[in-house]
Amino acid sequence: MKNSEIEQRLRQEAKALLEQGKVDCIIGYETGSLKFTTTPLITRNKDDVERLIVSPFIVNNLSVYLTEIKGKVGIIAKGCDSRSIVNLIQDNKIAREDVVIMGIPCPGLIDLNKIELSLGKDRDELDNVTRDNDRVVITIDGKEKDFPITEVLFDNCLECEFPTPREYDVLLGEPCAPVKSEVSKKTSIKELEAMPRGERWNYWKEEFSRCIRCYACRNVCPACFCQRCFVEESEPQWVSPTPKWQDNLMFQVTRNIHVAGRCTDCGECERACPMNIPLRSLTKKMYDIVDEQFHYKAGTDKNASPLLTAYEAAEVEDFIR
Amino acid sequence: MSTSKKISKKDIGKILSQWSQEFTVLVPSKEGNVSKMARWDGKDTRFMDSHRNTVHPVKANFFPPMEEMFSFQKNKEGYHIEPAPPDEHKLLIFAIRPCDANALAILDMAFKDGYEDPYYLSRRKDTVLIGLGCTNPYDSCFCTSMGGSPSDSTNVDIMLTDIGNEFLIEEISEAGKELVAKTEDLQEAKKADEAKAKKVKETSYDKVTRKIDTRDIDKKLLACFENKDYWEKVSAKCISCGICTFLCPTCYCFDINDDSFKKRGARFRSWDSCAFPVYTRMPMENPRGEKWRRVRQKVCHKFEFFPMNFGSIACVGCGRCIRLCPVNWDITQTIESVPEIT
Repeated sequence: MKNSEIEQRLRQEAKALLEQGKVDCIIGYETGSLKFTTTPLITRNKDDVERLIVSPFIVNNLSVYLTEIKGKVGIIAKGCDSRSIVNLIQDNKIAREDVVIMGIPCPGLIDLNKIELSLGKDRDELDNVTRDNDRVVITIDGKEKDFPITEVLFDNCLECEFPTPREYDVLLGEPCAPVKSEVSKKTSIKELEAMPRGERWNYWKEEFSRCIRCYACRNVCPACFCQRCFVEESEPQWVSPTPKWQDNLMFQVTRNIHVAGRCTDCGECERACPMNIPLRSLTKKMYDIVDEQFHYKAGTDKNASPLLTAYEAAEVEDFIR
Repeated sequence: MSTSKKISKKDIGKILSQWSQEFTVLVPSKEGNVSKMARWDGKDTRFMDSHRNTVHPVKANFFPPMEEMFSFQKNKEGYHIEPAPPDEHKLLIFAIRPCDANALAILDMAFKDGYEDPYYLSRRKDTVLIGLGCTNPYDSCFCTSMGGSPSDSTNVDIMLTDIGNEFLIEEISEAGKELVAKTEDLQEAKKADEAKAKKVKETSYDKVTRKIDTRDIDKKLLACFENKDYWEKVSAKCISCGICTFLCPTCYCFDINDDSFKKRGARFRSWDSCAFPVYTRMPMENPRGEKWRRVRQKVCHKFEFFPMNFGSIACVGCGRCIRLCPVNWDITQTIESVPEIT
C-alpha cells in the first residue's frame, strides 16, 4: 500500500475517533517547516487530521508525549514506537484502554545525515529524496543518484526486528519484513568491541567531551519517564551538572542502565543529539545484553512483567531478598 | 578614498599565518563532525570549502559550555581561593557570519548590564572579527527579518565577500583598517570586483526566503501573556531539551556549581536553559513547572523582555533553533501566530 493510501485511511480513522469521542486527542505527524522534515502534530481538533502524513521521514517516537497528555489518545505508531507504548503500559504509566494505537508497518526511515555525509551537501540543498523498495533515489542539481537502502536508512532501521507493530487497535497498511542488514557505520558495536580497552576508553572520552548536556537524548526517550532524573539530584549529587566528559559519560551510562529492558532501539537518542555522539552504540549493546542474558525483548508483550522492576518471592538470587 | 582590497583564496593560509603572529586565529573547524570556531592549526584551509554556518554559535568561544571561575582549598586558616588564570589570548575570528557577529553585540549588552562579567569580557576584549558574507543560507535562516542580512557588516571589523577566486575586503572599523594596512599579500580590487560583490550580496539576500513580521511583537506578546490556550498550543510538541537555548547565539543563562573532593575543588559555570523545569525550581514552588510557561519565557525573553531592557530583539535569525530541534519546533511559526491585539 502506498503512503498516500495509508494517509487517507489514517485521516479517516483519526477523524472518526475524534468525532465519536473515542479519543480526546490525536498524536501524529505533519509536514515540517524544513525540507523533508516532519513534525509531531498533537491536536484535539478534527479539522487538523487532514494534515496528518506518512513518509520515510516520520522520525519521532511519539509515545514520548503519552505520559503528559491528559485524556484518551489516538496515536500513530511504527513498530518501534508501538513497543515503547507497550513498555509504558507494562510500567503502569498509561492504561491500555486510554490509548488507541493506529499502527503503521515501517519499512525503515531515511537518515538524512547519512545522505549529507555521503554527498557533502546539506539536506536543504537536495531537490528530492524518494524511496523505491530497496533503493533511495536522490535528486540533486537535477540529476538522480541511486543508493541502496542499506546505505541511507537509519542504523536502527537496518537492524530492526519488528517493523510491523505487534500491539495496535488498527493496522494501516500490510505488514512488512525486516531489512536485516549489517550497519555500515564506522562505530558498529563489533568494531568497538574489537578495540583494546585503552583505545576504547579514549574513544568514548573524545565522544563525550563534546556533550553539552542539553538532555535531548533523555527528553526524546519514552523510556526516560522519571519525574525527577538522577542527574538533577543534589543530595546526593550522583553526577556533576558541569559538562565534564567524565560526568557526561556517567550520565549516559547510568541512563542506559536505567532504560535497560525498556529500550526498544528506536534510535531517537542518537538522532536527537546535536553533538553527533554515537549513543546507539551504547543502547544497542545494552539491548543485546538484555536479549542474550534475559531472553527479553522490550515492549513485545504487554502482559509480561517489566524486566528489572518486577520481583518474585521465589527469586533465587540472595542479594534481592 | 583609497581603493578597496581583496584576498586571493589561495593566499588565505599565508595571510592567516601573518595574523597568527599577533592573534590566536580561530577558523570554522570540525570536531566529531560538529562544526565550531576553533584554533587554526596553521596549515589546513579546507574550512574554505564549507559555505555554511557552524553548529556551535560563536558565543561558545567567549561564553563556553563550561568554565572554571576559581579553585579553592581548605587549610588551617580557612579557604584559599585561586582565581582561574585569565584568558589572555587576543582572538581573531575568521569567517564569522553576520548573524553570529550581531549576536555578540547582543551578548555584549547583557554581559555589561549592571555587572561587568570579567570572564566573557576579558575574552571578548580586543577581539578582531573578520566577517564572511553568506552565499548559501540555510532554509532555516531568517536574518533578513531580524534587521540583518547575509552580508550585514554592522558588527564586524572587516567584511569579506566571496567573489569567486577572491574575497573582496571592506574595512569596517578602525581595528579593521589597521589590520588591513599592515597585512601583506593583499591585492588591489578592481571596479569589476566591487560590482561582482554587489551582485553576490543581492543574490544572497534573496536566498533568505523565511520571513517573519516582528512589528509590535513586544506589545502583542505582552497582550497575550496570560493566554494559556495559545501557549499550550504552541508548546505542545516541545520536549523541553536544551538544544535551542544552548546553541542559540544570544542565549546567555548559566548555572554555577562547585565540584569538590575532600578539601579542594573548583567552582564552574556552565550553560543553563529556561527550557528545563529545574531552572526555576524552588523549595515550595516552581513558577515554570508547566511546559507552556517555559516556552513562553523563552519567546518573551527574546522578543519582549530583552527589547524592553536593551531596545533590541535578542534573536538574529540564524535558524539554529529550527535546524537542530529534534521535533522541528519553529520559532518563526510561533512569532507569526502570536494573536493580534484586539
